[in-house]
Amino acid sequence: MADPKTKNHIWLHLGLISFTVLALYPVLWVLALSFSGQQSVGLIDLPQDPSFLERFRAILPLPAHWSVTNFVEVWTEQQFGRWLWNSVIISLMTTLLGVFLACTAAYAFSRFRFPGRSTGMLMFLVSQMFPGTLMLIPLFIIIVKQLELGNTYLGLVIVYATTSIPFCVWMLKGYFDTIPYDIEESALIDGASRLTIFWRIILPLAKPAIAITALFSFMTAWNEFILASVFMESEANYTAPVGLRFFVGGFSSQWGYFAAGSVIVSLPVVALFLQLQQYLISGLTAGSVK
Amino acid sequence: MSISEHLKRSAILGLGISMLLALVLSALLFRAEERDLGLQERQRLAVLQANALVLAVADTDAEATRKRVQEIQKLDPQIESVIIVAGAQLLASTRPEDAAPRQLRREEKPLFDLSNLIRTARETNRGEEIVRKKTIQVEEAAQGHLVVTMPYLAAGEFAGIMQMQFNLAAADVGTVADDTVSLPLLMLLLALLAGVMLRLDAGRRIDFAKLLALAVFLVIAVFYQQQRIGRLEQIEKQDNKSVAASYLATAEQFDRLGYLPLLRDPAVVNLWDTDHYQRPRGLIGADGSISVEAQTRQLGKRADFIRPILWVIDLLAVAVLLMFVYGYAARAYAAFKAHIDAYIYVAPAMIGMLVLVFFPFMYGITLSFTDTTLFNESLPFSDRLIGWDNFKAILGDFNIYQSTADGISWNYQNFYWTLMVTVIWTVTNVTVGVTVGFMLAMALNTDGLKGKAIYRVLLILPWAIPNYITALVWRGMFHPQFGVINQVLQMFGMEPVAWFDGVVSSFITGLATNGWLSFPFMMVVILGALQSIPKDMYEAAEVEGASRWQRLRYITLPLLKPTLIPAIVLSVVWTFNMFNIIFLVSGGEPAGANEILVTKAYKIAFEQYQYAYAAAYSTVIFMILLVYGFFQTRITKATESF
Repeated sequence: MADPKTKNHIWLHLGLISFTVLALYPVLWVLALSFSGQQSVGLIDLPQDPSFLERFRAILPLPAHWSVTNFVEVWTEQQFGRWLWNSVIISLMTTLLGVFLACTAAYAFSRFRFPGRSTGMLMFLVSQMFPGTLMLIPLFIIIVKQLELGNTYLGLVIVYATTSIPFCVWMLKGYFDTIPYDIEESALIDGASRLTIFWRIILPLAKPAIAITALFSFMTAWNEFILASVFMESEANYTAPVGLRFFVGGFSSQWGYFAAGSVIVSLPVVALFLQLQQYLISGLTAGSVK
Repeated sequence: MSISEHLKRSAILGLGISMLLALVLSALLFRAEERDLGLQERQRLAVLQANALVLAVADTDAEATRKRVQEIQKLDPQIESVIIVAGAQLLASTRPEDAAPRQLRREEKPLFDLSNLIRTARETNRGEEIVRKKTIQVEEAAQGHLVVTMPYLAAGEFAGIMQMQFNLAAADVGTVADDTVSLPLLMLLLALLAGVMLRLDAGRRIDFAKLLALAVFLVIAVFYQQQRIGRLEQIEKQDNKSVAASYLATAEQFDRLGYLPLLRDPAVVNLWDTDHYQRPRGLIGADGSISVEAQTRQLGKRADFIRPILWVIDLLAVAVLLMFVYGYAARAYAAFKAHIDAYIYVAPAMIGMLVLVFFPFMYGITLSFTDTTLFNESLPFSDRLIGWDNFKAILGDFNIYQSTADGISWNYQNFYWTLMVTVIWTVTNVTVGVTVGFMLAMALNTDGLKGKAIYRVLLILPWAIPNYITALVWRGMFHPQFGVINQVLQMFGMEPVAWFDGVVSSFITGLATNGWLSFPFMMVVILGALQSIPKDMYEAAEVEGASRWQRLRYITLPLLKPTLIPAIVLSVVWTFNMFNIIFLVSGGEPAGANEILVTKAYKIAFEQYQYAYAAAYSTVIFMILLVYGFFQTRITKATESF
């Protein structure tokens, strides 16, 4: 006797599987393209008047010949290695600076009661409403034209670090609030200075939150495209996002290099994202619940 | 009585600091104004010569024009070089290496572009009969080196541009020789002296000493500022004199050489001394005499500009004075000292935010009230100020469509078109995201479904991949010739679609990409909410005989609302600002029809180089978001109380 519920699930599975295949198609397509060893956007060269089957073969995300030349050449013949290096350095520097700024500010907001505290926190919140393009033009004029920090790591790093501050501060402050004050009080009585407490007690206790903050700062810098494309004009200073667009934007169409580069750039981010998704989602929804 | 006691009781700190503040700020203002005057005079001298030259070659043939240009350049040692560009031809040049006449070279394309820009500006002014666009471009290349570009006319018609390079470093720029240091120092000393002598009575709200301190401050400040305004007027009068002298000297030479007759009549309008819109200033007559009324008007205009700023400075300083006199400053200092630890911790982040977020924000707002472009950045700020014109041009332009014989043709460059596209874009995307996310979440929430975790991880992937990569991938899949999507269409015997050529099809490319990108977020959020709905509610409903639809309508949806609404609010803002998808997938094709507000602002700034217009555009976007923000908080509050 067939259980009606199981029968239902077969249809559900069918639906879910076909949707998943559709949803994953672009990913598979990029993977196939990256291993195809060629630059064209089509995976198969179609004959003059292709049949149904030939067309079907063309849309299957499988390369005509498997090859790793795209991965090799994107390193050796293109400047991609350099762009990736730029991205790594900029993202790491952003993370360091961003976490430092966010930790100190969040600690003060969490532990001290001082005039201007609520105003300061409100200011951080309000700044999230400023649209990117409104900031883009003044930042371009100030950083590139006045300070002449275009084409430098420093220019992008300070902008990325400050844009990630508000989110990081609010998140860290929330975490610091959960650390009991008793620990600090007893340390104060034992004669520890504020700096010692911050450095030796608070920071080690807040490691998980700091890790998330660091990840957020890193991802901000790693995935940012607009500011980088405006600030970095010379090809040698491109970051990975700007470089990837260089492969397929405008009139160039080096889809193989693009696909190989995309796989390299995405792998660490996707891995981190899948690992930490529950924290990210709880962080996003926390704001709405509170 | 100790010194600190004494400081507290006397008005010396208050008067000293407020006086210093007022003096320094006004001195900075006046110094900026004087430098501005110097720059303006150099520009006036340069524009004068440029106008003269264009008028002198207006009715001559090409050969004579070249000859006159050479002669005029030799007449005045301040003129470094002159070139005339007509169409794609270099008509005349005083630089021997140019070998004019010849075709423009490839690297001289900026000259051709500049010519087109000035032609458009001229035609706009003529067409609208309002002078709105500058037809004279002045650029300060280095200290004292000016480049003036203006229309070159042949037989009264626009024929190209004339560019003149000056070295005016040695020009007689009007200054009044006397020192600007001893007077303010003396004033400051006076204020300090008065401060020492005044004894404040902390017990009373208003006492004689407090009033006197205020009076001393006002008298000194106003006296100093009046004195500096007088000095400014003197400089401006001298400037007019030297411009008039320069005019007369050149006019007499032109008269002698037979280029242009010199009319010795003060009533005839002087066409050489014009502003950057080529409107005569009316300050100097054709005979070189200075009109007294016009000069008074000119001086009054500057004073009107300065006075309000001085009022603000004085008000600020008075506020500081009162803070000291009433002891607020001492209390604030004590508070600062008590919380010094906290301020040190906050300072780095706060300074960073002020310098890189709040200052640029204010800068952007200020920029939107100017007409700054790539070409006139170096001009002084007061020359670029145009008030609300940018906003009028954006919001006041209702030329959304035109009715032609073939039907309606839409004006894709219009703000309201872009706004409409943005709203449609946001609504459709959020609808698609919520619908797909909801259906998947319902499916994954089925009891006893195997492999939930695997589906979940696989379906979340689109969210994990950096969105610019997603955008470029979809751009490849929509490739009109080799793209996968057209292959599928052809597989089923349909015609391939040129995706980026049609307004609707191009919109669909963005929608598909963003839909793919955004459903995982909705799915995860809704799934989380569904799992928190207690099962016994459904069971109870089933026992009561509620149908599937009724359970969805009366249990699931109401309980989802508190989670769903914040998620929708968030994703509306994300989609509204989704720059990467539009910019990288369709690029707003065709002809900018699918541009959303943020990408449009970017293109105005970085492809048309109209920084100020783009800043105004962004300010309007900010206002829209602000209004949305107000509604959002109200909606969110409403759901919280639910």
